[in-house]
Amino acid sequence: MKALDLEGLTISEIAPLIRKKQISPLELTRGYLDRIRTLNPLLNAYLAITEDSAVAAAKKAEREITKGNYRGPLHGIPFSIKDNIAVKGVTTTAGSKILSDWVPDFDATVVEKLKEAGVVILGKTNMHEWAKGSNSINPFYGSSRNPWDTTRVPGGSSGGSAVAVAASLCVASLGTDSAGSVRNPASLCGTVGLKPTLGRISSLGGVEGTGGYTVNHFGIFTRTVKDCALVLQQLAGDDPQDPLSSDEPVPNYTKPIGSPVKGMKLGIIKGYFEQSLVPEVRQAFEEALRMLKGLGMKIQEITIPHMDLVPALQAASTRPEANSDHDHYLRTRPRDYSPGLLYTLIAGLLIPAPVYVTAQRVRRLLCQEFDTAFEKVQAIVAPTLFSTAPTIEECNRGYIESDGQRINLQDRAGNFLTRYTIPFNVTGLPTISVCCGFSSSGLPIGMQISAPPFQEGTVFQVGHAYEKAAEWYKRRPQL
Amino acid sequence: MKDAVRRLNVEYGFNLTEEEIDLVAKQAEEAALLFRPLFEVNVTGITPLTKVDKRVRKTSTARKGKK
Repeated sequence: MKALDLEGLTISEIAPLIRKKQISPLELTRGYLDRIRTLNPLLNAYLAITEDSAVAAAKKAEREITKGNYRGPLHGIPFSIKDNIAVKGVTTTAGSKILSDWVPDFDATVVEKLKEAGVVILGKTNMHEWAKGSNSINPFYGSSRNPWDTTRVPGGSSGGSAVAVAASLCVASLGTDSAGSVRNPASLCGTVGLKPTLGRISSLGGVEGTGGYTVNHFGIFTRTVKDCALVLQQLAGDDPQDPLSSDEPVPNYTKPIGSPVKGMKLGIIKGYFEQSLVPEVRQAFEEALRMLKGLGMKIQEITIPHMDLVPALQAASTRPEANSDHDHYLRTRPRDYSPGLLYTLIAGLLIPAPVYVTAQRVRRLLCQEFDTAFEKVQAIVAPTLFSTAPTIEECNRGYIESDGQRINLQDRAGNFLTRYTIPFNVTGLPTISVCCGFSSSGLPIGMQISAPPFQEGTVFQVGHAYEKAAEWYKRRPQL
Repeated sequence: MKDAVRRLNVEYGFNLTEEEIDLVAKQAEEAALLFRPLFEVNVTGITPLTKVDKRVRKTSTARKGKK
């Protein structure tokens, strides 16, 4: 199999061919490993390539399938895993200097589940230091680069995972999302990125200190919405070892895909997602709304009274939770953090406890306001980010310019690259980012679709209908 | 705030310079301003959110909104 043949492949395309023995998992795996060897020096998507174990897993899959023991649609499919998710026997750095030589002796629950499904793990992907940022500029391991323009960041913190999927260095990837860390890079790299309902996927085996507890979610990167549903089907469910996981029944996630969307009501929240929205992103989002209407869906404005408090709720939740995890290393290895992260963590030590508790109470109020909104609409749509991917230089200087206006990437309320994604972290709502167009310079633009708790099926239904009509997912970066 | 940062500097052994103490203090002051509006919300009768549960339904106290 030639490397070029791998570009843009999806699980839905490959799985039937693997099942019919028309594609060999071993050949597929070797093809991706070749492609990684060629392109990773340019893109820096992978921190570790697990070639030996990948080849062994592929051989095992091939043997099983040859004997007629096909496990399901993920059998023999090459995946990558963000480097803050434990994979037994593989160095897991969390993008940090402190954990540069940590080798877990266990698999995260999600990794266990993927292995049960027979996937092939190709390696661990690059990320923002301790997942505490959204551009994947990493001072210890180098920056991941956006495959659509390598002078630009891929977003983050799961930047390497998004790059790996967008550049066809794997078929699917796992990441984590405590402020948009799956949806943000998915948007900037033109892939699908799902943050399911809080607790829908076990977070056992995520590196402590990379996302906190009450707003952190494991998530999925794929090329298409249907692929995302296939992966969630394998990962969703209660984990007796993770008290934050949910025992809500797991439905058939592929069933809503292709179901009629005519007459569905979608909400847009006014007054929040317009902040600093650059013209090309606004245009692409408005065009996407027109297409959704064209598919028979109705768009209506909804109101969330306390929406303005979202940045405060996010910061008041994540910062004290991070400090709980980082206290030991702050006392023993403070200078092994990058300076910027060290200062943020020290400032976090000064947040009074009532701020944290009050924030959790206001979060419940906010969730109730979303519940009320969902009595009128079945899903909410919003841009994923205010802009396309900034350059590495723009991130380092701290601002971008749009239409002659300077937009700071960081302000009192935190990181502006996550401003549009955090509402769905503080509410825990299932939210997907799908590509909704490209800028004039060829950079991807993302749109979020969010639904009530545990209604990932609705997110897939709307996302698939849009994706099928728009066909943006068929575009590939020229590498 | 600078005094609080200096106390942490000693307790944790950060060895921060004066310039770094200024930077951290500024961040902490900005965060305090960001969090202030949270205390203007009436959260009487509302328990903290720690886990999403679709069976939880809103109560009458949930509709009180800002003070």
